[in-house]
Amino acid sequence: MSSKEKEFDFFQKLQQEIETWLREGLISQEQKTKILSRYKLISEVEKKAGPGKLITTITILGSILIGIGVILFIAANWSEIPRWGKLFIIFSSMLISYGLGFYLRYEKANYPKVGASLIFLGSLLFGAGIFLIAQIYHIQAHYPNGPLLWGLGVLPLAYLLRLKTILSLAVIDLLIWLGLESSSQISFIESRGPMPFITLYLMTGISLWATGLMHKGFESLKTISAPYIACGLVVTFSSGYILTFDVFRGTFGSKDFIPFYIGIVALFSMASILYAFSEEKEKSWFVETCSLTFFIVSVFLLSLIYRDSPLHAESSAFTKTALLISNIIFALGVIGIIFLGYIRRSSAYINIGLLFFVLDVVARYFDFFWKLLPRSLFFIVGGILLLSGGVFLERKRRKIIASFHMEYVSQ
Amino acid sequence: MRIQFIAIVLIQALLLAGMIAYKQYWLARGERILLRTVPVDPRDIFRGDYVQLRYEITNLDLDKLNANESFNTGEKIYIILEKDSDGTYKAVSVSKIPLTDKKFIQGKVTYAMPKPAQWELVFTDTASGIKYKKVIGYEPGETKGDFFEACLDKTGNITAYGSGHYDCGKDKTINITVDEVKNITGLGAINVEYGIESYFVEEGKGKVIETARNARKLKVEVALEADGKGIITGLFMDGVLIK
Repeated sequence: MSSKEKEFDFFQKLQQEIETWLREGLISQEQKTKILSRYKLISEVEKKAGPGKLITTITILGSILIGIGVILFIAANWSEIPRWGKLFIIFSSMLISYGLGFYLRYEKANYPKVGASLIFLGSLLFGAGIFLIAQIYHIQAHYPNGPLLWGLGVLPLAYLLRLKTILSLAVIDLLIWLGLESSSQISFIESRGPMPFITLYLMTGISLWATGLMHKGFESLKTISAPYIACGLVVTFSSGYILTFDVFRGTFGSKDFIPFYIGIVALFSMASILYAFSEEKEKSWFVETCSLTFFIVSVFLLSLIYRDSPLHAESSAFTKTALLISNIIFALGVIGIIFLGYIRRSSAYINIGLLFFVLDVVARYFDFFWKLLPRSLFFIVGGILLLSGGVFLERKRRKIIASFHMEYVSQ
Repeated sequence: MRIQFIAIVLIQALLLAGMIAYKQYWLARGERILLRTVPVDPRDIFRGDYVQLRYEITNLDLDKLNANESFNTGEKIYIILEKDSDGTYKAVSVSKIPLTDKKFIQGKVTYAMPKPAQWELVFTDTASGIKYKKVIGYEPGETKGDFFEACLDKTGNITAYGSGHYDCGKDKTINITVDEVKNITGLGAINVEYGIESYFVEEGKGKVIETARNARKLKVEVALEADGKGIITGLFMDGVLIK
């Protein structure tokens, strides 16, 4: 987090705290005004830039809209604009966006949030530039190097400026690259079915998750841990969710993915070792890291063992057992992160955990009752269950998240 | 921080400029070849409007090209090209390494379609000395020198054979020895991607080119980089360059 952002955060917390102090009679109204006037400058900037979260969201959305607009403009490929004209538009808009963003956020520092969004727009325009050049030289449409270059190109910027938006962009670009590159490597004759991709993404998700934890362990990287953890959790649980269905056909892994496996496991190992030696670790970090290690190693080994022989060549009892085990592991995982979220007061863990809890319940409901109940009853009961489940979960979620704030105030 | 920021932005700009410079260099310097296209299914809609191209050299029958090795999916491949009478280039052989003395284009195998296994057995009639051939789809257990009783039909094909006695019915019964057992499985066909399969056009202008492509009237001019990678430089429809 930049020093300016830290000041903003501090000021916002101070304002909340001062109200409590005033109520509790610790300070007088006069003292409150005096304290707040010390931070008048920041409050003026805050007024200009509007309330923090809202302005960030609005400006990021604005940047995304402009980015999409520019990409569509390029995609239309009007022949009226010559090649160099299009390149000039991309280069100049990227540089202006970066320059203006940096000026507003760090030099003049009066519109830090708008500035951050403009820098994000610059990163989007960099990607648009890559695809424009690919288009000009008729480089294939399915072009894995595009997202790779985009992701790697903006990654240093995310670290230098500690911007979560740019880091999210880089992580998503690299996830897209992984999909494109791996599907161009695999030979479909040998490994039929989607399993190798699911297990590849499962390992990637766990690796990203561990990378996020490692970032949390270091004071200087803490502010940009969220994109890794959020992407890691979503990718891990989405892949795990697919494995709760009857998909155990084809090969589990693929020999064509071995270079990816090595890279992913190396990233995981590095992140986990660094995390173990980091300054501050969260509650139950050891259990979390050990579970992640256990899962990634299991998936890695299974992918290597079943890289040639298809799973359905084994007995049907084998695939049934595999399905049952993956269902149990998934359910434990969901409960695990909800629990971790509760003891760490992390709303991200709880929200993602609850989301996959609901998805799992819905899927299993379909699995077990579709054949048993008459169709009409099936839908009515399903609907009632979902509605009441929704009410229950919403209340539970609010209670848990509210309890964090209460504990915070009472501490 | 300002200097680091400027440095990263400059690197990004240089990356883009580098991509342009590299392609421009090979457009200006690279050798140009003309390739014939073949029809394809309609385009998809991911990035603007573009025409999907497939070439005569996209699908290669390794046996027809007298290749002596097979290829896996994802493997790099170099196609040796030779000029045809109409000025276009066609594939004459394939290689896993670039052959500098010949004209070649680099591609990546996207799909390898192996041929089903085939084994050829050569038998000799012990009485007459006449040789008979039989092709089977699995690895045979017989080895050279084995002795069998066999049935020979009117067209001269061996219909059945075995170590015991056979009732050949209308067919003739003969005694044979195994002369030769060899694997004659072909290498099969491969699908190759050259990175020149998309031609971007202004929105809505792809239809004309697609029609020409499907009528096999479209030829593509490609500049070759030193390592054999291709860049599309122009499209010729009925011999006329489309801009």
